[in-house]
Amino acid sequence: MLTSLKSWVRPDTFHAVLNERSVRWYNACLRITRDADLAADAVQEALLKAWDRRDEFRGKSELDTWIHRIALNSAIDLMRRRRPQALEESLDTEYLMAANSPHGEYVQEALSRDLITAMQRLTTIERQTFVLKHIEGWRLEEIAESLQTNANNTKQALFRAVRKLRVDLHVWRGES
Amino acid sequence: MISDDDLLLYYYRDGLDATERARVATALAKQPELAQRLHRLVAQLDTAAELPDVPVPAHIQQRWQGALMARSRARPSFRWQALAATVALLAILFTVWVSMKPAPEQIADQPSPTSPQAAGAPPETVAYERGLRWHLANTEQRLAKLDTAQPDERARLVEAIIEQNRMYALAADRANEPQLARVLRAFTPILESLTDERRETSAGDIAQLSFELRVMQARLKAAADPSTPAQPIAL
Repeated sequence: MLTSLKSWVRPDTFHAVLNERSVRWYNACLRITRDADLAADAVQEALLKAWDRRDEFRGKSELDTWIHRIALNSAIDLMRRRRPQALEESLDTEYLMAANSPHGEYVQEALSRDLITAMQRLTTIERQTFVLKHIEGWRLEEIAESLQTNANNTKQALFRAVRKLRVDLHVWRGES
Repeated sequence: MISDDDLLLYYYRDGLDATERARVATALAKQPELAQRLHRLVAQLDTAAELPDVPVPAHIQQRWQGALMARSRARPSFRWQALAATVALLAILFTVWVSMKPAPEQIADQPSPTSPQAAGAPPETVAYERGLRWHLANTEQRLAKLDTAQPDERARLVEAIIEQNRMYALAADRANEPQLARVLRAFTPILESLTDERRETSAGDIAQLSFELRVMQARLKAAADPSTPAQPIAL
């Protein structure tokens, strides 16, 4: 165990994990905040917290999971503290640019547009609940705690989000 | 009738109690169309989660790297803090040892044996000096354990050292040894920095203490040198 702990003290190892996993952390925070600056700030907060506690992690996987979770919580906190009505245009542009990349295809671009529209119709709590539940796999109680509400409100927000998304994405049924 | 909300919670394995879960499971087993509904629902939600990942802009990557570099410079790791604290403690031990060692002229004037008791020192002084030596040796041993201790154990060890150190600083005051009391107290903030994650750095404190120790050692050395006139150790 000492050997693995020692390796984490080295800054270059920590930076290697950052390079490898940061896209995943950043995009998870983007889905929560829909604001590139807030997402970047959230990841940075998590990174610095992880750096201060780096001796406690026993492997890449544990470090990755920890940063991912702390970044999401930071993203929620930042949304609450700084920008209750976060601007979303910049994010939408970023997503469309990603879809327009050489790898992107017409279908992907069209789906991205519809998804952006659908996500825009969700309230903040609906979007955050859906992302944390369906994409991140958090427990309803964990989501409720993070969003500072109760489990029933969380459940209802999830149901509303699902209903709205199904209406807006009806052309993208599972069979398509 | 099973609602889509119940189907969803069943799929998530979250938010339904055991009875409700059993009811949905039974219905799914009996009704193929319900299983189809669940399949479609999950497929739709998976579609909704398909927003493509965007790359992290280069300037944000650089900002993160810069923040980490700044933090790594500002906050020395626990290992380095422990090493610095150990060096500081060894310097203190050396200083205390020198200050308690009688000067050559004192040795020459003393009858043998030279123990404080034999020299006519009160028993409480003998007990104090013996206790102080034990405290310093014990502190050194505990400090050596910090490097491999788990965070909780480390906090307990540091707390015990600080408390013991505080008692011997008080004892040094009572024994009319203010410089020793001051040295012992100066060690406390270094120890505290080993457990306080909120502190920006302890490097400045350690450097300040090291400087004070060097000054103290120089003056102790001068006081013990038979070629220089005997002077009180003013710190």
